[in-house]
Amino acid sequence: MNLDPRDPRPLYLQIMDEVRRALVVGTLRAEDPMPSVRELSSQLVVNPRTVSQAYQELEREGVLYVRRGQGTFVSPDVRADRRVVAREVAKRALLEARRSGLGVKELIETIRKVATEEVEEPLVPASSSKRGDGK
Amino acid sequence: MSGGNAVTTHGISKRYGRETALDGVNLRVPEGAVYVLVGANGAGKSTTLKVLMNLERADAGTAEIHGLDTVRRGPEARAQVGYVPERPDHGYRWMMCRGLLKHVAAYYPTWDHPYADRLSLAFGLRLDRQVATLSKGESRRLQLVLALGHRPPVLLLDEPTDGLDPVVRSRTLSLLAEHLADTPTTILISTHHIHELESLADHVGVLRDGRLVAQMSRDELQRTVGRYRVEIPMGWQATRELQVAGVRANGVREAQWTLVGDQRELIDRLTLAGAHVREVQPLALADAALAFLEHEVTR
Repeated sequence: MNLDPRDPRPLYLQIMDEVRRALVVGTLRAEDPMPSVRELSSQLVVNPRTVSQAYQELEREGVLYVRRGQGTFVSPDVRADRRVVAREVAKRALLEARRSGLGVKELIETIRKVATEEVEEPLVPASSSKRGDGK
Repeated sequence: MSGGNAVTTHGISKRYGRETALDGVNLRVPEGAVYVLVGANGAGKSTTLKVLMNLERADAGTAEIHGLDTVRRGPEARAQVGYVPERPDHGYRWMMCRGLLKHVAAYYPTWDHPYADRLSLAFGLRLDRQVATLSKGESRRLQLVLALGHRPPVLLLDEPTDGLDPVVRSRTLSLLAEHLADTPTTILISTHHIHELESLADHVGVLRDGRLVAQMSRDELQRTVGRYRVEIPMGWQATRELQVAGVRANGVREAQWTLVGDQRELIDRLTLAGAHVREVQPLALADAALAFLEHEVTR
């Protein structure tokens, strides 16, 4: 798990997003144990309160659950919420487009076009040297 | 969370001859906070912590740690504190590190021997070294073990990662995060490396020339400071008032400014002045805090 230090959104939301992303990618699956609050705060150098808050929210959403005395686990009936992850990606793209003076239609058409071209020439992430892209 | 303040100062002022080191500082460090005190060199960060430790006597004002006056009830107040001073001067220079640890441990009934051993190991301390022969970085690591080892309710850390190499720096911060997870602690930490505390800090105080010019929670700070992307007509001139707030016109049609203040009010003022605000982006904690150091702030 990785956080982007430049991302100004509240950290607990960023951690929640990382968990959701891991579920979509498949690196996290039903009944997997989650790192303890202590482990994750140490790894991310994040205030333990922030990690607790993220876990509590995810528990409320039914993504995680607590086994008494054993720690936090991914819910057995968890479904990767692709829509939430897709919405976040879409929001970022839209914001970026607007900043460059592009319209929604222009952006969508271009994404389609680039995706078609990618079959011949795979995309290289422009930000591959940047920290915090997650997995 | 009890909701009270763990560390409080009431109008602390301190002068050295003609130099004003602190000018009416009212610090409020909430119980359980990780409070970062930022400011340029000489802004008064170290002096503030020294006053709290009663190593410096304030010319005016009082300070409390968990409600204990730091002068009148100094020993009791300091018993609650783990302190890493700006300059690692341990006294006891003839002692071995092991000896100094034992010596300090004897003063604290809460000293956690296994934990102190673990920390020494994690910091790579060589316990058979004489204190006088330690490098700056080693001294700093020893100081951290001494401060954390008794699991005090309050930690006062003065540039705790200064002099440490990058690997030990990040290990130190991870250990601090673990410490917080294991022990309820209030941390007041002074630094000029605020970026490395980006995700650990939840409160920020900004000292400028001895004055506390800002003090707020992470959320409040991020609401108060924004990056404004603005369209301006060619040749547009900012009003005097906006210039004071940090607005600079540089003859281009689009500009970006980091501004401090109520977002709606700032947008109104900019619109009234003929500028068109396209977007207001929040900033990361460190960048938002630095905004208070970069230009005059209208309050």
